Amino acid sequence: MFTSPLNLAQALEKEGYLIDEETATTLFLSLALKKPCLIEGPAGVGKTQLALALARVVNRRLIRLQCYEGLDINKALYDWNYAKQLLRLQLAKTVEWNEIKDDLYSEEFILSRPLLESILSSEPVLLLIDELDKSDEEFESFLLELLAEFQVSIPELGTLSSKTKPIVILTSNNSRDFSDALRRRCIHIYLGYPSLEREISILASQAPELSEQLIQDVCGFVSRVRKLPLQKLPSVSETIDFARALNVLQKEELNYGELMGTLSVLLKYPKDIAKLEERLKKWESEKRSK
Amino acid sequence: MDGWKFIRLVQAMRQASVSISSQDIQDAQTCLQRYPYLSEKLITRSILIHRPQDYSIFETVWRIIIEDLTSSERGSEENDRKEMIIENQDSSIGIGGQGVGRGYGGISLTQKGPIVDAVEVSRQIPASRIEELISSGNQFEDCFKAILANIDYYSWINSYDLAYQRGQLIEEEWYQHQNSRDCLLQEIRQLLISVQVTQENSWEPLVRQHWMFKSLSSLTESEKALVKSSIRKWARKLAIRPGFHWVKSRQGTVDITQIVRQSVQWNGVLFRLCFRRRKLRAAELVVLCDISNSMASFVEFLIYLVTCLRDRFRKVRVFFFIDSIWDITNFIWDDDQSFKQEIQSWGHKVSSGFSDYGAVFKEFATKILTDVTARATVVILGDAKNNYRPAQTEYLAQISEHVRKVVWLNPLDTVEWSERDNQMKDYQKYCSKVYRCRSANDLQKVVRDFL
Repeated sequence: MFTSPLNLAQALEKEGYLIDEETATTLFLSLALKKPCLIEGPAGVGKTQLALALARVVNRRLIRLQCYEGLDINKALYDWNYAKQLLRLQLAKTVEWNEIKDDLYSEEFILSRPLLESILSSEPVLLLIDELDKSDEEFESFLLELLAEFQVSIPELGTLSSKTKPIVILTSNNSRDFSDALRRRCIHIYLGYPSLEREISILASQAPELSEQLIQDVCGFVSRVRKLPLQKLPSVSETIDFARALNVLQKEELNYGELMGTLSVLLKYPKDIAKLEERLKKWESEKRSK
Repeated sequence: MDGWKFIRLVQAMRQASVSISSQDIQDAQTCLQRYPYLSEKLITRSILIHRPQDYSIFETVWRIIIEDLTSSERGSEENDRKEMIIENQDSSIGIGGQGVGRGYGGISLTQKGPIVDAVEVSRQIPASRIEELISSGNQFEDCFKAILANIDYYSWINSYDLAYQRGQLIEEEWYQHQNSRDCLLQEIRQLLISVQVTQENSWEPLVRQHWMFKSLSSLTESEKALVKSSIRKWARKLAIRPGFHWVKSRQGTVDITQIVRQSVQWNGVLFRLCFRRRKLRAAELVVLCDISNSMASFVEFLIYLVTCLRDRFRKVRVFFFIDSIWDITNFIWDDDQSFKQEIQSWGHKVSSGFSDYGAVFKEFATKILTDVTARATVVILGDAKNNYRPAQTEYLAQISEHVRKVVWLNPLDTVEWSERDNQMKDYQKYCSKVYRCRSANDLQKVVRDFL
């Protein structure tokens, strides 16, 4: 598929995703070994975007399972189509029960959810299990069979193995730790906030309409903001939105004194905004005294 | 990569509590052979490490096994040069060094002198100096502090702190300083562990630095988060198998066993309906925490555990104490910050700052014990250091008689329980169980065993 990590990084760059050498190597190894890849890191650093870009690069259909508390097998793997089963029973009133009882629990009456869909798919797919840390531990344990063997067991049907091994990407915001069993089955990538240089490149590629000066100013400002003790640090997508917002306001460069009112694009908690506004005054006086 | 080195690496990682499966080894070997042009370190780390917190262990082991072997050929000439640098630094009078007892005078308040670069640490601090510190029987943290004192770390950080407070440093420079400070500390820790491992000829020093086995008082912020995450996990496991037991009741579920048992007594002729209902095993939890300076870092984790477990108990009451007692039950459920602030404000206003267990038990027994049920479990978190005040064990005995169980969690090592100002031996007689609760591993044992 890819000859080297560099080759993978270049392909992802074409799709608008900039990846560093270390992450590219780990992702490359995960693809080479055909093992699931667990991507961890704070919200908004591009974990999901990496999976989406990879799906485009490898030209596979993306099947996404968004995890949440209470997610169970019926919503993630399969469910029986009860309406169809009832209909079948009504149509078969004259037929012997023994003849139809097996038929009721066949593949025809099954409703495929994302996990089963990825297993049964005849074409190669990329399965994205997003924000796995939001799901319960029971669900995590259930995934082990899928991650290790690329197969699932349905009591009425037996074990179903994948026809074409899907690329599996799991993402997590670290809100809870995973078991050793799950981690062992995956190759691990930790994505942190990008460096200043990388973020400048990301902004330049994602928002080409912005001036070079504005991009540099915004990225420098955001990297300073990320050092503050805030409840939620600004993500890359929020940086892009913030730069675009300044562009809409026809700012060619970033001045600390003119940011009031635009900070809500960057930060999402009133407490954080208040803290930053306070800090802006200090930064401005530092700038003046320089 | 040399196969022997690879096996040593895997063995060392396993001994340092990093889980590495046979499949991982096979995958790593496959990749190392298939992609010889890729960095061996990157391949090995990508395949063998599954948790971000294990990266530092990997770095240390890699450094000891792979990098140190290649750099061992460095001649004695370089070693001599290192010794000279340290000797020169030792002789510089007027540096001070807060809290390390150098005794040469105050801290430099104006000049921000140069400091050893993190990259240069291994060159500028000679291994012989570290070996000397370790072989003198010092604890890891003491050796670490001694090295920091040697390189004038304390005067360096103090001068920067003051410069920042005075506005001589802009925030950007301050952050850069913070980063280099962290890198330096990390580098020195790694160096120290490397020397310790070599000297002891065992991976035990590395295991001691694992967050599960480190003292709760010396954890970094990220390690604290890990411990709290583990506590949540343990608490959740306990919550899904809560400690209920069945009791006789006038209403509730029909108790077939009891009916049959009674019916048998009457030859099965007559029977009377019996009922039963489920009842929480631990009806009430009362937590007493010593929050004097030596204990503050441990309290945080116990309170977090109690917060996670509160649904398991019918009633939870939390008291803090130093030399008198106060009820903080209403504060701890909000968030971490509010109860920390409460500790600070109350501790400063009301307390002398020195623990007095005897007075605290007396106050508890006379004022609070009447409100505590006989089914309650009392958990005491404290080091039992009574500052040479009377132990007043009779009050703990009174508490112990009144409640179902008294459990004592002590963060000190068991050998320290017999020190002169420590009353643990006296108090121990009146406790149902006493645990050493110094690390996350100890805390896990307590949760498993007692809860």
